[in-house]
Amino acid sequence: MVQTTAKSVEQAVEFLRQVSRDVPSAAIVLGSGVNVLEDLPEQASFSYEQVFGISPTIVGHAGSLSLGRVDGKLVTVLRGRFHLYEGHDWDVVTLPARVIKEWGVPCLYLTNAAGGLSPSFRVGDLMLLSGYRDHLSPQYKETGLLPALRSTASNSENELTKHLWQVGQRLAREDREFRPLQVGIYAGLLGPSYETLAEIEMLKRLKADAVGMSTVPELRAVERSKTRAAAISVITNVWSEDAAIDGHEEVLKAAKAASERLDRLFRAAIAG
Amino acid sequence: MVTSQISLKGASRIDFTGQLPDFTHYPAFSSDVISLIRKGVGSRVLVVIDVGWGFGKAVPHKVRDHMNLTGSNPLVGPNDSCGERFPSVNSVYLSDFLPELPAGVLAGLKPGVVPSADDLSLMRSLGADFYSYNLVPTMIVAAHAGFKVLGVVIPEGTDKAAIANLWTALTDIVED
Repeated sequence: MVQTTAKSVEQAVEFLRQVSRDVPSAAIVLGSGVNVLEDLPEQASFSYEQVFGISPTIVGHAGSLSLGRVDGKLVTVLRGRFHLYEGHDWDVVTLPARVIKEWGVPCLYLTNAAGGLSPSFRVGDLMLLSGYRDHLSPQYKETGLLPALRSTASNSENELTKHLWQVGQRLAREDREFRPLQVGIYAGLLGPSYETLAEIEMLKRLKADAVGMSTVPELRAVERSKTRAAAISVITNVWSEDAAIDGHEEVLKAAKAASERLDRLFRAAIAG
Repeated sequence: MVTSQISLKGASRIDFTGQLPDFTHYPAFSSDVISLIRKGVGSRVLVVIDVGWGFGKAVPHKVRDHMNLTGSNPLVGPNDSCGERFPSVNSVYLSDFLPELPAGVLAGLKPGVVPSADDLSLMRSLGADFYSYNLVPTMIVAAHAGFKVLGVVIPEGTDKAAIANLWTALTDIVED
């Protein structure tokens, strides 16, 4: 277990209320190598160390929280997250999402880099999560994963996911270069080792469309709250028998290429 | 855990007998053995044999791939510099050895979990051919450290002659 000095939710929210009189209308959490909403007007930026008391340890996770405006609306962008595979416990991994919820932010957009399982996916696709499979919760340390395999996927659709889907459809109609959003089930695995081909086959048979090592904790942290969450996976590689994964560098490269479309999607969704 | 250290035709070899099961007081997965693997002790090939349970005939099986169903991963925590933060474990298995053995997909279960008949059916439907408790975490650490692994599972009920034949074949491999 990583030793941390993470702040409590209350301490982090108190810090944010001191630096911003207004509550943002949206928060965006960016995963590995995903860069959007940079250089926002009226931007102020704080390190995760300042806000949460700890910093991410993974390459591609900057560890900063920015405040700025999109179409006149105050938003906050969180660059980087904490992962269970780093050795953090569940409370630390969900800390940013719980702070967003407690701060009163109504919309939470989550992003991640994921491996594509669906044969219809291409590298660089954006997949809107309609649901998720939880294969990483700490309870499975006690039981093993058989209970997870027996479970069906959790539904994550809500008003915000519907809004994001509609905005994506509109952008695709207006610009043929904008790939329509994919929709599917995300499987959250513990990591940090990548999935084996046998695990890929298993996840396909369980009807998962993409696989990664994050996002599920944040979605669970805001369930049944006033904060609506919508998650987007950037498909950074597509699994097949013939395609070997090159590693984290490949993930970062593909995530960067999709960031431009994701930036347009979020700006349009926040604007209305 | 290290029972002997001998040299065969100039190649260093260490035999490990037994593992530290993850029942109660050991955090996980043969930690002493894993620490030795991390130090690069011995050759770059690890032969791991585990007792398991097969869904078919009770004969030794060679592992060609695995599913980690333990709910844990031995690489969780700060990354050990012996390997990458996000290792691919797909190319870890040696497939050219022991061609006489059937090869299959190993499901690695958490020690102490006894699967029900429905669980067995589910695992089978998801692609597993047999399961064991200790092999998968060891293989993940080995892959992280750059080892190739020859994994063999001996299902419960395997007759002594088959085990003797396996041991002879393994000895031949190590001494070649």
